[in-house]
Amino acid sequence: MGRIVVTGIGVISAIGNNASENHSSLQKGNTGIGKAQFLNSKYANELLFGEVKLSNKEMLASLGNSVVSGMSRTELLAFTAFKEAVNDAGLSDTELSDFDTALLSATTVGGMVETEAIHADANTNTTPSPFVNSYRSGAHTLQLAKAFGLRGYTDTMNTACSSSANSIMLGARMIKAGKCKRAIVGGVDSLAKYTVNGFNSLQIFSDEITRPFDANRKGLNLGEGAAYLVLEREEDAVKKTIYGEIRGYGNSNDAYHPSSMSPEAVGVRGAMNGALQTAGLKPSDIIYVNAHGTGTENNDYTEVHGMQQIFDTVPPYISTKSFTGHTLAASGAIEAVYSLLSIKHQEIYPSLNWQTPMPEFNSKPQTEFVANAKVEHVLSNSFGFGGNCSSLILSKV
Amino acid sequence: MFIKDLTCISPQRTFEGDFFQSEPVIYTGSQLIAIEPAYESIPNSQLRRMGKSNRMATGAAMPLLQKYKTDGIIIGTTDGGMEDCHRFLNQIIQYQEGTLTPTNFVQGSPSSPAGGLALMSANSGYNNTHSNKGLSFENCLMDADLLFIEARAKSLLVGCVEEISQAQHRIETLAGYIKKEDVSSDKLYSSKTPGAVNGEGAAMFVVEAKNDNALAEIVDFDMISYPSREDLLTKADALLKRNGLTTDDVDALMLGFSGDVNTDNWYHGFAKDLFPQTGILSFKNLFGETPSASAFATWFAAQLVSGKPVPEMTFQRWSSRELKTILIYNHYQGNQHGFVLVRKPAPSIPQRGK
Repeated sequence: MGRIVVTGIGVISAIGNNASENHSSLQKGNTGIGKAQFLNSKYANELLFGEVKLSNKEMLASLGNSVVSGMSRTELLAFTAFKEAVNDAGLSDTELSDFDTALLSATTVGGMVETEAIHADANTNTTPSPFVNSYRSGAHTLQLAKAFGLRGYTDTMNTACSSSANSIMLGARMIKAGKCKRAIVGGVDSLAKYTVNGFNSLQIFSDEITRPFDANRKGLNLGEGAAYLVLEREEDAVKKTIYGEIRGYGNSNDAYHPSSMSPEAVGVRGAMNGALQTAGLKPSDIIYVNAHGTGTENNDYTEVHGMQQIFDTVPPYISTKSFTGHTLAASGAIEAVYSLLSIKHQEIYPSLNWQTPMPEFNSKPQTEFVANAKVEHVLSNSFGFGGNCSSLILSKV
Repeated sequence: MFIKDLTCISPQRTFEGDFFQSEPVIYTGSQLIAIEPAYESIPNSQLRRMGKSNRMATGAAMPLLQKYKTDGIIIGTTDGGMEDCHRFLNQIIQYQEGTLTPTNFVQGSPSSPAGGLALMSANSGYNNTHSNKGLSFENCLMDADLLFIEARAKSLLVGCVEEISQAQHRIETLAGYIKKEDVSSDKLYSSKTPGAVNGEGAAMFVVEAKNDNALAEIVDFDMISYPSREDLLTKADALLKRNGLTTDDVDALMLGFSGDVNTDNWYHGFAKDLFPQTGILSFKNLFGETPSASAFATWFAAQLVSGKPVPEMTFQRWSSRELKTILIYNHYQGNQHGFVLVRKPAPSIPQRGK
């Protein structure tokens, strides 16, 4: 069996509405975190967010006739990134509707972003709101399948903040096992009153810009976005642009606490080890790590501790959440796209806002942009509530 | 893959009761509420904090996790702790985004049961949650099948859980997916009105790569969204063919008739087109409709191929054939269609010691 390669990417986040805008912001070190314009929440003015710089109306207009009425912001983000990815890979309508084309997506908030509409539909409405079919998990995947005429395998994963790392992993595994010929994989989450209040209740928001791996980090900034990757077998992609391959993947549960990670980093180590094992690589082969790096006390400590257990010398590591905020179920896919961009352009993006080393470690993230780097293998980490830890290795082809 | 053991909490006496020896419980109304056990496998301090879906998933899965060593946990749930979710949502609105406690938020996440089970059974292996509306169980089967093919697991805990939350029930009713009038579950299929009746529960399985005195075999599965009638037949036909079977090898169909006059025609058409003579069983007049309905169907089919008697009210077309191979065909709200093929396993060959 040949390699599983990435032939198309699509991404929308606080630092750009497509892959090339995201790439340019990463190179320049321009964060997208700031005041939210579109989020309907009292915290919109109090906290900082990685909000996509488009209104629902603007996204709707740019999607043209592929959308139907009653689409939530989650669905609009998903459609935008999905469309870019399948166009980038040059997938024809026939290929999209092939039984052998799978769609594996991920979300946590889904249509729950439409807080007021749900509340009204559940309590007072006598006729359903236009969003009535959007609320439940899996709704955006179904909408994508319907709009783009997909007839193959579909899946929606929710393992909190590691969700779309799992959709990438499962898509690659399906192709490898011959369960499908190609897979469109990724995830989406939108800024929502529901999650803003949820994370606020857990007291893990920073009241200033997030500072991953800094001694004085105060927590995360919530973000939003979507990213999709088109995965194909290398032998089916001979005439296509190949961004890289999905070389390794690992999934392990921390089995410690519903919403924090074990000091021993059981799941973190399990996921990274699993990824190295399936990739057939040594820790020293990893050029750099796109860390989960949420900027919370608990995550950043556990992640560096975990890396120290795996690597004799910890390679450079970055948190691109300092650009996008934490995009939850979309983060694994967005960061996979960033890793692929860095492989394609042979460069390493900086981690922003870092000043002071963590007292527990003699270690700091990569804070400078590196052009002309030799990027062969990137490890990308995603960890979620419920102990869900997943790691991917993306490699140059 | 092979079902080594299984549990089910449902609106029927399936967990500790005498479901196959007694008359099924008949419900009136549009909600079939799960009959919950005493949950002896869960410490009281933890039980009190659990929402219903966490409680049912844990209650059904823990006895299995205590009995078998499994290499990972794969859960399907569309709504997860939907009641908690709506409670949190209501607090956001009621207190105008004031200071809230995180319990409902954390419990409301669909990944909570799989994470909770990993925690309680100290299982740091593979862990995933599929939350894909009407195909979540088929997604779990794919995930498990791949782990077996990759030889990364020998034994897995796989299953689904869904709870009825009152808010979601009202939303689904408003959208026309749930019956507006009261109907008796033994007369579900003569109602001829739009909408299904809501169900809930947890169906959990220990599945293994090899047949070691298994109760049943899950031979294969497949799915399609928004198919044409022909697409559906092509899929079913291909599923049988790749397993060396013909329609005649299927002893009975288990169809997801929900009593919804708008979508039950899929089942009538399917049976007519491919299986005009085959016996037909139903299951939603026992368990109600849930996004994870095919998990309950698989539990039921596995019991039947292992020799349990067929409850009379589930025969929609009688057949005298011994039930060794059952094809489950279920769709959710007419959009997502899934197949699961369940078979009585061949007697397992004793393993020779090395």
